[in-house]
Amino acid sequence: MTDILSIVKSQKLSYEQKVNALAHAAEDTLDVIPMSERTRFYFSQGSICNLNEGNAPYRPRYIMPDYEKAVKNGVKFLELEPPRDFDELLTFLQILYRHVPSITTYPVFLGDLDKLIEPFITNLSDDEVMKKLRLFLIYLDRTITDSFCHANLGPEETRAGRLILRVDRQLSQAVPNLTLKYNPDITPDSFAEEAILTSLYVANPAICNDVLNAPTYDRYGISSCYNILPIGGGSYTLTRLVLPRLAKLAKDKDDFLNNILPEAMQCMADYMSERIKFIVEQSGFFESNFLATEGLVERDRFVAMYGLVGLAEFANYFLPGKKYGTDAEADDLAEIILAKISDFAAHYECPYCEIANHHLLLHAQVGIDTDYGITSGVRIPVGDEPESIYDHLRHSARFHKYIPTGCSDILPFDITGKQNPAAILDIVKGAFALGQKYVAFYASDSDLVRITGYLVKRSEMEKWNKGQTVLQNTTHFGTPAYESGHLADRKVRGV
Amino acid sequence: MFVRKIISQSTVDGPGNRVAIFLQGCNIRCAYCHNPETQVMPQSYMTEISQSAPIVPKSRVCQPILVDTIDEVRDMPIADIVAQIKACMPFIRGITVSGGECMLQAPEIELLFEQVKSLGLTCLIDSNGTIPFSRYPHLLQLCDGVMLDVKAWDADIYKALTGANNDNVVKDNLSLLLNADKLSEVRIVCLPDNAPIKIDVDTILANLARLPLMINNQIPVRLLRFRPHGVVGILKNLTMPAEEQMQRYVSFAQDLGLNVSTK
Repeated sequence: MTDILSIVKSQKLSYEQKVNALAHAAEDTLDVIPMSERTRFYFSQGSICNLNEGNAPYRPRYIMPDYEKAVKNGVKFLELEPPRDFDELLTFLQILYRHVPSITTYPVFLGDLDKLIEPFITNLSDDEVMKKLRLFLIYLDRTITDSFCHANLGPEETRAGRLILRVDRQLSQAVPNLTLKYNPDITPDSFAEEAILTSLYVANPAICNDVLNAPTYDRYGISSCYNILPIGGGSYTLTRLVLPRLAKLAKDKDDFLNNILPEAMQCMADYMSERIKFIVEQSGFFESNFLATEGLVERDRFVAMYGLVGLAEFANYFLPGKKYGTDAEADDLAEIILAKISDFAAHYECPYCEIANHHLLLHAQVGIDTDYGITSGVRIPVGDEPESIYDHLRHSARFHKYIPTGCSDILPFDITGKQNPAAILDIVKGAFALGQKYVAFYASDSDLVRITGYLVKRSEMEKWNKGQTVLQNTTHFGTPAYESGHLADRKVRGV
Repeated sequence: MFVRKIISQSTVDGPGNRVAIFLQGCNIRCAYCHNPETQVMPQSYMTEISQSAPIVPKSRVCQPILVDTIDEVRDMPIADIVAQIKACMPFIRGITVSGGECMLQAPEIELLFEQVKSLGLTCLIDSNGTIPFSRYPHLLQLCDGVMLDVKAWDADIYKALTGANNDNVVKDNLSLLLNADKLSEVRIVCLPDNAPIKIDVDTILANLARLPLMINNQIPVRLLRFRPHGVVGILKNLTMPAEEQMQRYVSFAQDLGLNVSTK
């Protein structure tokens, strides 16, 4: 109860942040998800972690509404007719976004924004479109106060896409996160270069390997940090194996491989199954929420994200003196484990996961603010990066191939990169051809920084550090993560 | 080949991401040279080189020549250079050979390009244009383009700046490369207004604009701002030219119809 009172009395939380924290606290007074003794043990050790997903889930964690369908048919529950012009579209989307739930209580996916907008701007000048877009994006940034929120662009070049990039560069906001789906056969170099150049000013957009990610489902979108999920569905849950903490429970490497890891994998998968069953069978979400009843999401288009974090520290733990990222031995051990987890996920029978062929899908989880000395997913720890960016990206490609629901690299670039975005595009093309799946850039002098996948402003982190209230609750997560992950020391790439 | 340095990720030596290979040795002595350590040539190929181009000796404008760092120069077999290039694939779109003055080793570059072209990469040459490209038709055919320095138009200014008399060769190369569709860029280094040497930038631009292919093909003209970093000799304490001065050149070049930039 002290916790709850401290939420009520806090002078660092905004009103909205207090309401959300109180709702979360109320949910956590329940205990409705069956858990075995061993599962409880792994949870208590922090080696299985549900990322504060709440004890009684009443909506899927990530929801990817089919916005195209909504725009085409309207939304009865919200008394919204299909929009007929650009103003109506933007108001339509603002209202709809307000009602899309998720783990953050804000929408994590805003749709293929360029494609949604393109048909509505034919008769408007660039200036007219940009003025309206500007207000729309400012509205999103100030009301979706959590940067685990994503809009998508591409792979086709559109006028809307170019204008979104132009406005985004002027605004320099943390929300929405933008990703360009990039396909060298579809996306013109000039458009991709414009996107990369924009990212060197405002850390947005990130670049997604469309060729490798598109085949994951029939229609995919990028949500939250960099999650690859089916449009018209989403993910029920994301739970993660915290590999370095799991490693410490084992007597030795063999004990880990033969006993600890198999048991923990089973415990986590069973736990996720129980969460899914609760959402589908008891929460009432799919029976009552308008997104489901109006067909904007379909129950059989949800997956279960089987997360892992700290592959690097796990490998380094069992091989003292070796370094994941630059030592072949550490990389080989890491790949053996990753292949083992991947194999488990691909064979586990998970309820209500039709679109994933009834299995779990691996996710390179980015980490949370309380992870100390644990590197995101399969990334190389800050400070251990290979000297050559090429070796860095080759390494990523090797490990990304196991991860279908999201993995990424974040590369800060020297400001000289601004003079030649085509050169950075060449590097992206090479990396993607080798199997790297998703990459984000920002410039070493940018106010906006990509923490682990989401964006936070350095200036906002300074405010939060001084004990002041900040608008975005992702600043709360980002500030400690920026420090504990030594993100300021990321290897800056450039000439 | 006598190699000073290989950069596996260069974003400033031509379009896209490239491997830049800096060869050792230069035949002229530019006052604004920012890597004078690449000027001096290893004794072992002095004779061969001096047949292909007159060498400017130690010059008043750019001394001392830094002979003490000659140890860093490697005489690399072409196969080793190709191996280094391959290690950067598929992240690069091509290579650029620079210097020093790379054309002093033209026959070697030809052998290198033959192999690199077969890898599907583009090959560019960054040259001061003092060695006639007409001597190397096969190399010209192999390469995808030449980035040519036009340092001054007036012979006296050219001499004062470089210590050399072969500005006419540069002009011949300019025409030759334009007509062969191999001129990928013209580069002009600009000194500040208060420099002891006055480069005739406006005259260079005016003369470039008189070449119809420069305008019709919109060949990029790049105005580079002088930077004191690395410079030895009489210009070492000079500052960068002001932004306004650069903008003046840009406006003038644009009025002439040239495709100019200062990046």
